[in-house]
Amino acid sequence: MRHLAALILVAPLLACAPPDPVDEDSPTTISLEQRMGSTPDPGFARALEPREFSFPADHGAHPEFATEWWYFTGNLSTADDERLGYQLTLFRVGLKPGDPSEDSRWRSHQLYMGHLAISDIAQGRHHSSERFSRAAAGLSGATRNPLRIWLGPWSIEGSGTALFPLRLRAGTPETAIDLQLQAGDRPMVLQGDRGLSQKGAAPGNASYYYSYTRLPTRGEIRLGDRRLNVVGNSWFDREWSSSALAEDQAGWDWFALQLDDDRDLMFYRMRDKQGQAQRFSKGVLVAADGAVLPLSLDDVALTTLGEWRSDDGVAYPTRWRLQIPARDMDLRVEAAFEDQEMRHTVRYWEGAVVVSGSHSGVGYLELSGYAR
Amino acid sequence: MIDLGLPRLLLRAGLTYQLRHRWQALLALIGIAMGVAVVLAVDLANHAAKASFALSSAQLRGAATHRVIGNTGEVPQALYVQLATAPGHPPMAPVIVTRVRVEDRPGRLRLIGLDLFAEGTFRSGLPNVIRGQRSLGEWLSRADAVALSSAAATALKVDLEDRLSLRHRGKSHDLQVFAIDSDTGIGGRDLLVVDIATAQVIAGMPDSLSYIDLVLDDDALAWLRGRLPASVRLVDVDTQTEGVVGLSAAFELNLTAMSLLALLVGVFLIFNAMSFSIVQRRNLFGRLRAMGVRSQEISRLILAEAVVLGIIGTVIGSVLGVWLGEGLTRIVAATVSELYYEVSAEAMQVGWLSLAKAVTLGLAGTIAASWLPARQAARTPPLTTLSRAALERSTRRQLPRLAGGGVLLVMLGLAVAFVLPGGVVTGFAGLFILLLGAALITPLGLPLLHWLLIRLPLGGVWRMATRDLDRHLSRLGTAAAALMVALSASVGVAVMVESMRTSVSDWLQDLLTADLYVAADAFEDGATLPDAVVREAPLLAQVSAYSVYRDRRLQIGDRRVRLVATRLAEPSRRGFDFVARTDPDPWTAFDAGEVLISEPLAHRLRLRPGDPLVLPTPRGDAQFTIAAVFRDFASEHGRVFLNLAHYRRQWSDMQVNTIALFSSTDDADALQKAASARFSADYELSFTAAREIYRESMAVFDRTFRITEVLRLLSVAVAFVGILSALMAVQLERRKEFAVLRALGMTRSQVSLLIMIESAVLGLLAALLAVPAGLAMAWVLTDAIQFRAFGWTMPFLINATPLGWTLLLGVAAALLAGLYPAWQASRHDPAPQLRED
Repeated sequence: MRHLAALILVAPLLACAPPDPVDEDSPTTISLEQRMGSTPDPGFARALEPREFSFPADHGAHPEFATEWWYFTGNLSTADDERLGYQLTLFRVGLKPGDPSEDSRWRSHQLYMGHLAISDIAQGRHHSSERFSRAAAGLSGATRNPLRIWLGPWSIEGSGTALFPLRLRAGTPETAIDLQLQAGDRPMVLQGDRGLSQKGAAPGNASYYYSYTRLPTRGEIRLGDRRLNVVGNSWFDREWSSSALAEDQAGWDWFALQLDDDRDLMFYRMRDKQGQAQRFSKGVLVAADGAVLPLSLDDVALTTLGEWRSDDGVAYPTRWRLQIPARDMDLRVEAAFEDQEMRHTVRYWEGAVVVSGSHSGVGYLELSGYAR
Repeated sequence: MIDLGLPRLLLRAGLTYQLRHRWQALLALIGIAMGVAVVLAVDLANHAAKASFALSSAQLRGAATHRVIGNTGEVPQALYVQLATAPGHPPMAPVIVTRVRVEDRPGRLRLIGLDLFAEGTFRSGLPNVIRGQRSLGEWLSRADAVALSSAAATALKVDLEDRLSLRHRGKSHDLQVFAIDSDTGIGGRDLLVVDIATAQVIAGMPDSLSYIDLVLDDDALAWLRGRLPASVRLVDVDTQTEGVVGLSAAFELNLTAMSLLALLVGVFLIFNAMSFSIVQRRNLFGRLRAMGVRSQEISRLILAEAVVLGIIGTVIGSVLGVWLGEGLTRIVAATVSELYYEVSAEAMQVGWLSLAKAVTLGLAGTIAASWLPARQAARTPPLTTLSRAALERSTRRQLPRLAGGGVLLVMLGLAVAFVLPGGVVTGFAGLFILLLGAALITPLGLPLLHWLLIRLPLGGVWRMATRDLDRHLSRLGTAAAALMVALSASVGVAVMVESMRTSVSDWLQDLLTADLYVAADAFEDGATLPDAVVREAPLLAQVSAYSVYRDRRLQIGDRRVRLVATRLAEPSRRGFDFVARTDPDPWTAFDAGEVLISEPLAHRLRLRPGDPLVLPTPRGDAQFTIAAVFRDFASEHGRVFLNLAHYRRQWSDMQVNTIALFSSTDDADALQKAASARFSADYELSFTAAREIYRESMAVFDRTFRITEVLRLLSVAVAFVGILSALMAVQLERRKEFAVLRALGMTRSQVSLLIMIESAVLGLLAALLAVPAGLAMAWVLTDAIQFRAFGWTMPFLINATPLGWTLLLGVAAALLAGLYPAWQASRHDPAPQLRED
């Protein structure tokens, strides 16, 4: 799911987030909200009904839709049990429907935005960066054969036209990831109604959405001069749409948890401007054999246990109690460390979490719409 | 009050004198103020043009530390993509820069194409402008968006959403004003910012960039080193000369020369004013000395006066200079905008350096100018000091020594300018020494002239007037020298410009031998001809011979030179004037692949025929042999001529910019009609006859030197005012003498005539001496300074017109200067004047 790009589409939600002045990795500091302040151009296709997915083709880009993303997160550890989290996301943003003028190879109606974050849990340090490029001249883009999505030197590469094994490569002069993701034994999960995920009341305010909730991962993470061999599990979300948050929607809290009993839990809570959960909040509980149990707002009770405040006073609820009474689940979900804020063009909190309580595990939490 | 170490009495004596001789004090002030004003004004105007350009250049450059440039002037786009998709790359931004013309407007603008996503680190102002006003998505997805500064919008008279039609290499491009920056995000009046895609289309560079900007530290430098192919180079932005796109060096030198000449004239005016006020008071000083005032005290008094006068004069001059500078800036800005790039007259700022220069000149010049007379006044024994006759005697005794020194200085000046190694500065040093020498010789002209005129069979007032020249040597000598310097500066510059004009004109006429030149629309830089035209134009029935030219820019070291690849017909070859060659016929060597280089290039790179010349080609460096050096005024950076066939092999470029056609009959018009009939329907071409190109080129030349003319007239005006004040002071001081003459029975008109004759003769003398001095100056400017600056050698040609004007001007100024004293002397009743003492 990850409504991050949808968030970009909605200007009123965003205080004009200034770029982090310390973050010199970021090649540019351009905010997109100006252009994307309103609902997408009606010339873009909309997700109105479930579609026949066709793989591996649908792993590639869908430029007829306004936004799209390839969203990877994961909890990894070294042989010495040093724990690390990572996030790599490539967003595609359609600026305008249709093909651009063909007079120059630099022309494009497509834009790619990338977010990379490495959470050094032992040190409690969060390294993040952002980059942009137009999808032109070979600077960024997506191909289906071979399956490859790239933004400058950051790339998501399949194997030929197949998705797995997947290779993720991204970095800055200071940090880098180079990871291999295997298919594992868990099948793909189609979210919502056969992959159509309704995000708001209006028809078309929906996305096509599927997930791989547990992908065995190994590879290398570089932190400065240290090169660490890591293993663990990744979570991969794929989503495309031409939807935007509705007037009254403020943001969401999104949980992606990999439990030690081999079950995976995804739940997102859509919040209105009063901070109340909306009925579009949804989730799934995925069993070890791939069986999917859909979750609605009524199935889940969420309570905030504690907040973390950024240096300029933005409060993020980073400690939670998540209950699914029907399944006897009562989880404490807590940030692996507090400051995992993504302070770029779009400002949100996205970080590794630790699960305890009735079940234990690890996961990722995304908190959006808190910075005003 | 400042303690000058002087008795109060003495200070009062000085003050009383200045108050009683208000006229003289005022005239001395005018001299100082005018000198300061001109120097300041020229300096301000000069800097304004450069500052306006530097501002936009600095903003263009942004935070970049390095730049990847191509040997052939372009960087392959693939290289940028390759680097930008390589892990660990440093911040970098692709840039396309080209020159465009706005339809129906003179002057050219810089069009810069940027990828805003790469710009954050470099020119963050640019993306801010776009997103501050409009959406970035719209900017990217519209093929005709252009952003500009509010200064540029005002200059081009466009507003948001207005269309802007650009011409580039014969093609029109219709853009729409997307954002106007009222802040400083887009600097300069000469900048148009477009998306890099749009720039690529306009510049006609589908696969390349102008350069890549980078921010590099040591690690990034190491990262980059192994990744650059041989066809590109990494340069430090600081060392990449602004000259590439900057002011024409010739124009800049011109302004500098004029500013220095103004300075020189200013110093002379101050010297004249000060020395006159001192010479005139020798009586007073004599009396003071006789009363027991020590010599140091007198010199200190004089210097104290100089300081006071200097301060007041400098303040007035600075105010005047700023005012004058604004006017001059407008003229300079208009010329620069027309010829080079858009600059705004508003760019004038009173810089500290300019002000410091003017203040230094005003104060130091005044003090220095008083130094010698002060010392003399202080040294002479009291009794001698009292006697006016003794002063004139000692002045006369010194004249030969002064003149002798002057001759030595003239010779030294010539030697420095022509022989001493060094650049333009050495040339100007020689010029100044020369002029100083000429000024020292001038006073000797007075007794010589007296000796000559006294022999004329004229009597009465005429005789008195000529004898006065001799009697007032100490006063008139300096005035004559000052007038001479001012006039000679004007002669020198005028003769140099005329000499250059003739050389350029001759060279153009030799060069433009063909009957018709065919180029893509309007000879715009870099426009290339359609293949069909290149193939078929020589086949027209009226064509007896043809030449083909491919003109492009090349980077040799840090110089950008023009490479002309050409197939030259026999008559085209005859237009070349070789100044150095190994073989009497360099054309055989040229046909075999050797190159011809222009004089400026040979001068700058110290190249001689037979030397190797390495040129960067798309396949890496290639070595050529220099067959000969030819005279060329087309480019101050230099040109290289290479055989077209060899060029095509090395550069794999089949493009052609111009074809020159020779008519088989005498009827050039028929040829033009035939060519036009054959091609005009299909292509946008320009058919230009040689005489039209000649006319255009000379018009550009004249426009370039229009500012010189304005400045020259200005320095003449200053000289005029200076002379006026100096002569007026001399004549006003003699009021008593005139009163005596009146009392002795001379009529009013006779006294007036006496004064007028004296003035006219003095003006004539100065003008006569200004002619040889001015010619010597012109010679130094033409053959020493131009050569040092550009490597141009040109025959030194004397034109009579400026000489005649100078004579007229000198006499006219002197006559005008005599008018007021003559009127005063004739008007007043002599009695009060006589009673005065």
